[in-house]
Amino acid sequence: MAPTTPKKTKEEPASKGSLNFSLISDVIDQTTFEQILEMDDEDDRDFSHGIVFGFFDQAETTFENMETALESKNLGELSSLGHFLKGSSATLGLSKVKDACEKIQHYGAGKDESGTSDEPDEEVSLKNIKTTLEDVKRDYKEVEGYLRKFFGDSPAPSE
Amino acid sequence: MDGGQTTTNTAPSGNSSDFVRKLYKMLEDPSYSEIVRWGDEGDSFVVLECEKFTKTILPKHFKHSNFASFVRQLNKYDFHKVRQNNEENGQSPYGQNAWEFKHPEFRANSKESLDNIRRKAPAPRKQTQSNEDSVPTQQIDLLNQQVLAQQQQIQHISDRYAQLSVDHQLMLQEVLRVQKTVLNHENVIHQVMTYLLSVDARQRRDSKASAPFPAQNQGGSTLSPSQVASMDDEPSSPLQHASKLLSDMNAEIQFNLTSLDTLGEPPKTGPVVSTPTPLDAQRNGIVRPPTAAGGPATNAALVYPKMNGEIEPVVYPVGATNGIDPMYSDHVNNVPYPMPKQEVDESRKQFPDNRKKSNHVDPGWMRSPHILLVEDDATCRQIGGKFLYSFSCVIDTAFDGLEAVNKIQGGSKYDLILMDIIMPNLDGVSACHLIRQFDRTPIIAMTSNIRSDDIQLYFQHGMDDVLPKPFTRKSLLEMLEKHLVHLKTNPPVMEGPQQPTAVTMAVQSSAAQSVKEDSSPGQSPATPMNNWQSPGQYQGMTAVPANLQPVQGQYVPATPAPATVYAVDQNGVQYPTAAPVPMPTAAARPQQRRQISDMSSAAENQNLAKRQRMYAQPMANPVQAARTG
Repeated sequence: MAPTTPKKTKEEPASKGSLNFSLISDVIDQTTFEQILEMDDEDDRDFSHGIVFGFFDQAETTFENMETALESKNLGELSSLGHFLKGSSATLGLSKVKDACEKIQHYGAGKDESGTSDEPDEEVSLKNIKTTLEDVKRDYKEVEGYLRKFFGDSPAPSE
Repeated sequence: MDGGQTTTNTAPSGNSSDFVRKLYKMLEDPSYSEIVRWGDEGDSFVVLECEKFTKTILPKHFKHSNFASFVRQLNKYDFHKVRQNNEENGQSPYGQNAWEFKHPEFRANSKESLDNIRRKAPAPRKQTQSNEDSVPTQQIDLLNQQVLAQQQQIQHISDRYAQLSVDHQLMLQEVLRVQKTVLNHENVIHQVMTYLLSVDARQRRDSKASAPFPAQNQGGSTLSPSQVASMDDEPSSPLQHASKLLSDMNAEIQFNLTSLDTLGEPPKTGPVVSTPTPLDAQRNGIVRPPTAAGGPATNAALVYPKMNGEIEPVVYPVGATNGIDPMYSDHVNNVPYPMPKQEVDESRKQFPDNRKKSNHVDPGWMRSPHILLVEDDATCRQIGGKFLYSFSCVIDTAFDGLEAVNKIQGGSKYDLILMDIIMPNLDGVSACHLIRQFDRTPIIAMTSNIRSDDIQLYFQHGMDDVLPKPFTRKSLLEMLEKHLVHLKTNPPVMEGPQQPTAVTMAVQSSAAQSVKEDSSPGQSPATPMNNWQSPGQYQGMTAVPANLQPVQGQYVPATPAPATVYAVDQNGVQYPTAAPVPMPTAAARPQQRRQISDMSSAAENQNLAKRQRMYAQPMANPVQAARTG
């Protein structure tokens, strides 16, 4: 759960057409991601490419919306945005991003990071979300880099 | 040569060659004098300007413009080119480029002698003419014969073709007829199977209810543990094998295999019943020790005897468990929480394997299921849609609950609705509540919010099952197969076992089921949640029917409620194994809606209890865990 610092491994976990899942097992859930790849036609990656790059757009937009909601201190919106991105990232098996989104969802709902106990102080929740949002963006950039490489795209602009 | 030929062949004047006469006529035209004219001596003619001659005169008189062929023609009539070189200066008196031709008989002002100019080979020519009469007739005869022969051949071929096409038509019709027959037979077989299974299930139920003890006696006398063990494999494998064959058949060639399968199955049912029971016994014995730390030895001992008594009912459940286990593990995997995979039982392992194979096979629908996918998230919608598509489903999508309700209200018919919970405009639970006012289509909640209180809420508002997010392709397929059994081409196999299992399971797991339901109402949300999330810890219990059984036993005693009958049998078995923590609430609820079925046989009971199975199990597990712990 805890976001570890996403320094890129020197062993190149991703190259075009292949992902070394063992190196990024905390970032991408192999089983989930591969079952999406299995849905591709034999000779191309059109389907998975579309899904993944659609998710990129979705994620960027959601992050922007989260920033906005953070400024307006709209905890409910933040929780809902966290839930939303949690769903799509989980579907792709992007575990790290999903975990962070789930935290945001819980914080936004006035809970602690696991959603089990209440956090009455809104300011604390907002602060937690702010931190977590930074984490999730970093996690997202990391996995985005892997995936863009995997799909043979130009590497994502670094942070 | 020249003289001989020409002189000897005195032919009538009319015989003079056209070519020669044309040539002569041409030379009589004074307007050509610059181009072609008689030679100075009058015994030859001269082409002064070869180019002009070719282009203007030749076409007029000889209908071609090829000087070379003109010269060839001249040669044929034995004209000779006059070579100036040899004489005098080697220069032609008519100019360098002039061509002078001469023939002894070809002289100016001597038209009569033209008849003496003939082609070099007059003799062959005449022969050919004479031959021409005879040869043609021969050839024509030959050709005619050939044509006739070919016509006959063609006639033969076309006749044969016509015959073949008629034959082909006949064969096609025959094949179609056979196809229909086979399909009808298949249907009949399926129906018979279903009937047999239901009868079987009823009998077991009756026997269970009426004489659990007698059953025990029988089991004790007839079945030894070893026997039981051997039995285990047989029942399940034949059933599975048959169903697998059926599904395979459907996908590819239905005819032969289906009939074979159907034939094979009926005999199996009998033996199956007895065999499955052993399995349960084994499972119980095996599972319990790991799960419940309590008195393993005693439990095991107790288990076998009791199990034997119930053996028959158990059989089907075994099959059901197969279905269930995979489901459960899938869910577990899907669920974010880590699950320890402690599938100790050999019997279990067998089942999952089989299950997987069957999963990858074409679902084998009788027709494509119509699925409504309600999902606001584009990624999930796309992937879910793609998965469904790969299962040969017809997919409709709705962006939110509102759209879904509108679609149903608008008269759209679906076999299943997959409903996200948290959506804009109208959430899934509310949408389901509205749809339930006028429609009973199975609705599966598709959500990552699977805390026990959440799930209870879903069920309260009429949802039939929960597919935890993120779902896998496999878990999705299993959900489909569970709720669309009636669309499967091999439903009888599954259903038959399921129902019986359900019954048996209910008995065994009634406690467990009750636990689940009980837990949700009685327990605080927090505890259920914990249970859910950490199924892995207790997973052995939850996932495996055996686990459930122990639970049941535990609860059963506590709960006097409806499940009692079943409880009796199971109680005996289960009591020893699981630490009995009586749950009043659980007892009351055991048989409620889906949970019961879910808990006990979730997989098996699909028909009856299918839907709630998954949750029920998890629920039960937590409870169990709590109790055991």
